Amino acid sequence: MDCADKNPMPDASNFRRPPEVVMRLARMGSFHQTRLSFMRSLLRRLKNEDWKFKRNLWAIDERGFGRAVYTVYGPERNYSLVAFSHDLPDHMRSDRVIATAWDATFALFDGIPCEADLDRLKQNVPKQEAGRISDSELSLSRANRSVRLWQHVVECLAAGKQPDREQVEAVGYLVRTTAVYGSGKFGAADRLSIADRPEVSAPFQAELLSVWLTRAFSLDLVEHIAAAQGGEQAVAIDPELRCRFGVGNSTGLGMAPFLINHPALLNNWMMAREEALARVRALPQAEAPAITDFKQHFERARFNVAQWHSEHPIQIEKLATLRADLELMSSYIADKSLSADHPWDRFYRWAEANLSLEGQEQMVSLLIEPYGELVDELTQCMDADEHLAFFIDGAMPLARLREIIETQCQWALQVDYEQPENRARFWYTSAEKLEPRVGERFDEPGAEYELPLAVGCDIKQMHTALMVWEGGQTTAEFLLVRPEHRHTARRVQNLAVRPYAEIQDNLIAADMLPIDILRCKLSFFGATKFDPRSDRWVRICMYQDAPFPHELLAAAP
Amino acid sequence: MSYHLTLAETETSLRKAARACGLDWGLAEEAGKAARWLAAFNLPGPETMLAHLQQLAGKDYRAFIPQGSAQPWHASGGLLCPIITGAALADRSAQMLDGKVFTLGPTAYPLLLAATVGQAARCHQTVFTTAWAGVRVSCFENGLSIEGNHDDLLLTRVDAVSCQQGDLSSPQQLPSTLAYAIDEEIVKHINELAFKIYAPATEASRAGAGAGLTDND
Repeated sequence: MDCADKNPMPDASNFRRPPEVVMRLARMGSFHQTRLSFMRSLLRRLKNEDWKFKRNLWAIDERGFGRAVYTVYGPERNYSLVAFSHDLPDHMRSDRVIATAWDATFALFDGIPCEADLDRLKQNVPKQEAGRISDSELSLSRANRSVRLWQHVVECLAAGKQPDREQVEAVGYLVRTTAVYGSGKFGAADRLSIADRPEVSAPFQAELLSVWLTRAFSLDLVEHIAAAQGGEQAVAIDPELRCRFGVGNSTGLGMAPFLINHPALLNNWMMAREEALARVRALPQAEAPAITDFKQHFERARFNVAQWHSEHPIQIEKLATLRADLELMSSYIADKSLSADHPWDRFYRWAEANLSLEGQEQMVSLLIEPYGELVDELTQCMDADEHLAFFIDGAMPLARLREIIETQCQWALQVDYEQPENRARFWYTSAEKLEPRVGERFDEPGAEYELPLAVGCDIKQMHTALMVWEGGQTTAEFLLVRPEHRHTARRVQNLAVRPYAEIQDNLIAADMLPIDILRCKLSFFGATKFDPRSDRWVRICMYQDAPFPHELLAAAP
Repeated sequence: MSYHLTLAETETSLRKAARACGLDWGLAEEAGKAARWLAAFNLPGPETMLAHLQQLAGKDYRAFIPQGSAQPWHASGGLLCPIITGAALADRSAQMLDGKVFTLGPTAYPLLLAATVGQAARCHQTVFTTAWAGVRVSCFENGLSIEGNHDDLLLTRVDAVSCQQGDLSSPQQLPSTLAYAIDEEIVKHINELAFKIYAPATEASRAGAGAGLTDND
């Protein structure tokens, strides 16, 4: 949809943070989930549209192995998670994408599968990348158990006791997914085949529906195994503790290039988030219910941050500053009036001056919480037709192309790429697993396989070429002779109409942290508890405290 | 044996194959889009693209590009590359909207040219028609029409091609979103080419990917 036409607050653009402030890796790597995040918009839709739920098949043996089907019924279409639970020896359990076996494997089926579908999926889904799914499936994924918590929960429940809350909250989930593939990968239905379905046209809705149902499966499975072991004395998990179980995810570099390869999408995600913040900052007053709501969400954030642990030095430091920032925010709320003129804008500007990036971005998430009516419609603007960003305006004068670079890409021009530290890395695809990786340009072989992800460097090279160009003065004439700049010309022209389309940092710098890109993307999904395992690998939690399907949705007949 | 290649896989694998055959990334992207577009209309885009890329591999780019601005366009090496030329025409789509007709001399695989130019139709919400031998292919914003002799669609080279804005009122076929049925051997060849852009694994690259920690926790 064209969001400009629907804007109820045209003045809000005066409060919008500019791309040069927002599109920096350090800030993007400090993003938190918001009410616009895709998991939350998915569950809002299921609830608002009165979707139904049913576990249509549970053929799991007493050891926990077998198959299950979970179906959600919408107003027009149904979707089913098909789950296979396997016997996986401990030595084969790996969070690397190069693993070849998992505790459980899944596909999201478009509709309700028949027996033949299940048999076909049984032949392929457990093999993951080595298998093949079809136009009838929307996603392919797998998960491994969190061994320690899984065993603890089974033992407790089988003995008739509740699991230890501290242990549950320290881990946060029973299973971790490692990859959730959709959009035509490994035979799955093409993204365009669902693009006209309102329930799954927003980004990653099918994949995140699959993950939500996976969470339900993991809880059902652990209770099933405990019941088989404990017999009559076994108990189920108390509902209040049960909702503290999310579903984990362990993800790495494979996901990082996505944001760079989808500039129109990145622009729309960022624009929606920034517009939401701007609308709230533009409010002349804060009404009492909104202030109350804000304070409740603030306390919840404090609780969640207290529960958020990481062993990684970078995140440990960020968490310490975030905790301090929350105390400063608490003092501000206690001391300063939120009834002054433009109170949220004052509050935000105070945060900019006094808090770390973690704290500032936490505040962004909190500020828009009370204002669903004002901002939730922006989720309709978060998909994108990348094809429109693909078009090159060949008639554009080269003077204009240079002007875009000089006005919108100073971040690229200011870097001296002759300095080794400014081009220390290169992105490539590994032949071993067909996944993106980052290499050290001066220490490793393979730089000749570099992917076009060195955006800033490429922009500067094109700018240099334009400065000495003496041929025809249109983009078309330039690109015919200098085709090596075609990819970059596309990106630069796109920036003129989609100002939040590019990460404004050097993606091949020695100190670039891939986890910043991962965190940005995962925050848009709605992930929490970011726990980096290295500078390029992160564990997260999804759907913690969210309702389960049988709680959110009425039972299907 | 038949294999079902999704449209996303078609675009990705042909883009990589094009890069492996020496096209720069920006042009390789055009090749991926064109192959996908044709496959969506159940036309042999992936097969034709593979055949063309195999001819292009290792050759000098400059031998295949249009020389000068005089019409008909021609290439110094004898044959115009449909990807390079199609992209150049798409870049001049504003001139076609003003009524200009582009004429080309000897051109390889004109179906690929039609699909590459056609990508610009969506952005202009118009139709571009490419004609050669006894056939005219029109690419709409989201549709396709073929008039004339379908046998000419798959000509591997033709002596003359024209390209211009077409008639919006022509009947058009809509694209499918389903996977494209293709000979498994062809997919193997495409993937072999695509594989050439992947870096062989090193100990460093393996160490850098995962956390290097156990998942048994």
